Amino acid sequence: MAERIKEHPILGDIKKGEPVKFTFDGKEVMGYEGEPIAAALKAAGLMVHRYTKKEHKPRGIFCAIGRCTDCVMVVDGVPNVRTCITPLTAGMEVKTQYGVSDKPFEEQ
Amino acid sequence: MKRYDLIVVGAGPSGLSAAIEAAKKGLKVVVFDENEKPGGQLFKQIHKFFGSKEHRAKVRGFVIGQQLLDEADEAGVKVVLNATVIGLYQDKEVVVKLGGEVVHYKGDAVIIATGAAENMVTFPGWTLPGVIGAGAAQTMMNLHGVLPGKRVLMLGSGNVGLVVSFQLEQCGCEVVALVDAAPRVGGYGVHAAKVARTGVPFYLSHTIVEAEGDECVTGVTIAEVDSSFKFIPGTEKHFDVDTICLAVGLSPMSQLLKMAGCKMEDNPKRGGQVPISDSYGQTSVPGIFVAGDVSGIEEASSAMIEGRMAGNVAAEYLGYIEKDALKEELDTLDKALDGLRQGMFAPSNRGKLIEKTDEGIEVSQSLLKNGYIADEEIERFPGVVRKVGVHPVIECTQNIPCNPCQDACKKGCISIGKNITSLPIVVDGSECINCGMCVANCSGQAIFLVDEDKGDGSAEITLPYEFLPLPEEGTKGFGLGRDGKVVCEAVVTKCRSSKAFDKTHLLTIKVPKEYAMKARFFKVS
Repeated sequence: MAERIKEHPILGDIKKGEPVKFTFDGKEVMGYEGEPIAAALKAAGLMVHRYTKKEHKPRGIFCAIGRCTDCVMVVDGVPNVRTCITPLTAGMEVKTQYGVSDKPFEEQ
Repeated sequence: MKRYDLIVVGAGPSGLSAAIEAAKKGLKVVVFDENEKPGGQLFKQIHKFFGSKEHRAKVRGFVIGQQLLDEADEAGVKVVLNATVIGLYQDKEVVVKLGGEVVHYKGDAVIIATGAAENMVTFPGWTLPGVIGAGAAQTMMNLHGVLPGKRVLMLGSGNVGLVVSFQLEQCGCEVVALVDAAPRVGGYGVHAAKVARTGVPFYLSHTIVEAEGDECVTGVTIAEVDSSFKFIPGTEKHFDVDTICLAVGLSPMSQLLKMAGCKMEDNPKRGGQVPISDSYGQTSVPGIFVAGDVSGIEEASSAMIEGRMAGNVAAEYLGYIEKDALKEELDTLDKALDGLRQGMFAPSNRGKLIEKTDEGIEVSQSLLKNGYIADEEIERFPGVVRKVGVHPVIECTQNIPCNPCQDACKKGCISIGKNITSLPIVVDGSECINCGMCVANCSGQAIFLVDEDKGDGSAEITLPYEFLPLPEEGTKGFGLGRDGKVVCEAVVTKCRSSKAFDKTHLLTIKVPKEYAMKARFFKVS
């Protein structure tokens, strides 16, 4: 679980884009335009981004700078999108990635 | 194929510095960076930097980042973002992925300033969501304003682990433990001390046994390790946490150099696979230079100097400046870099156990083992003196390259002298006017103003405070010792803020006078 920092002792108010709606597995979530998808998910307390192909193990944010690829998800139908460096836009469809699909394993 | 005099890969502190110097000398320069924003990791650094004035000491990292961007703008440096350099081929052909396109460029000279990547350690459960790199925590909290977690365990007591722990607390997370398999704290003692006095327990010679949780982290178990890093049975300790932060070192991202055919070496002192280069960044391939962490892990201040060196060397290599002019530039930069590479934490001292300071004073073992200086150790250091009236108490006990305190005091109360790594001393016969500039200007937050005896059985202590909410005058609470444990009752008598203090607030607390040399932090009751 996590949330947003309201006021930072050094940085003050952290500048954000316009508030926008997007969906996570079909459910509506709020975020700010231009922030990484992963930041919006984290702020909403959503930790699991995907399940690995072979062992079906959960993965989430790890490096947050686009190196490790742990945080990839299916975004607007495209799998393997690094959510930690992909800016959020209004109406984005973000889905949990199972292996390389947005379908849960039992449906694959 | 588009040609540039100089192509710089990486728009972090070293890459930008290199580009600025080269552009100033007349080179046509482009900088490619894979990120959405320039500045590398500087914009995640919210603490005041160490060093001296020439190293921009006491300026916060993100402010230095902005200064660097402004300077690059002024010099006419072109920075191309979202541009991943995927290849460096013969004759300095640079291949860049720009969006969906792959574009080829040619540089007459190339400077690789790709920086470093975080190291990882594995343990059962390490792949669970909630186990993150310390860099990820910084990115989340300092760039995006999102809390990395609520209850965090930090693994790693180097400067990154210490600094990030403090930053986590600043944004409202609880750091439940700071853990390191090494027997001694790896980073600056002043960074450790400022974390320890807020109440974070240090577990040296401990490491993670297991991260617990099914879908994400719900807890963690650590245990003590022996001298061969094997777990000692029966020493397990459990913490309920939602986040485990890993700060276990950095490795140079030197792949492009290897690809270009530069001679490489495995050098643990430099952090891993690095190109063999001279002290100004020339690799084994003429015209390919390196600067910053990619050529050996240090920190941002030295990376900026290395960048400036490489930029100048590239300018001379292409004939834009004469050898004499280069020598003059390098002499100045050499001196600046030497200054930063002195002291106990100098690259040449890596891995060594240093038992005495340059002054011959025994180093605090408690600081290395527990993160704080023990009460019985503190008075052997030259910055800690007892006097009548308000006076600075400087708890800076290791030889580190940093000296803003001596410039901060306009009354000449504090002296470090010529050698930037000397321990600060309180000058005999000097008169403190309680202005607080030393407290606010100390990047290590190691200076306190103490009035040991107010005449009514109480003492007043002014301490640096960078947390919210700011306690108001009259707030009652507790004085915490250097170890973060409650030592006495305390009441806030003053809270000073000023532009000159740069967001370090000065909290004055009143405590029973016997705690004048013991209480070092304030907690609201």
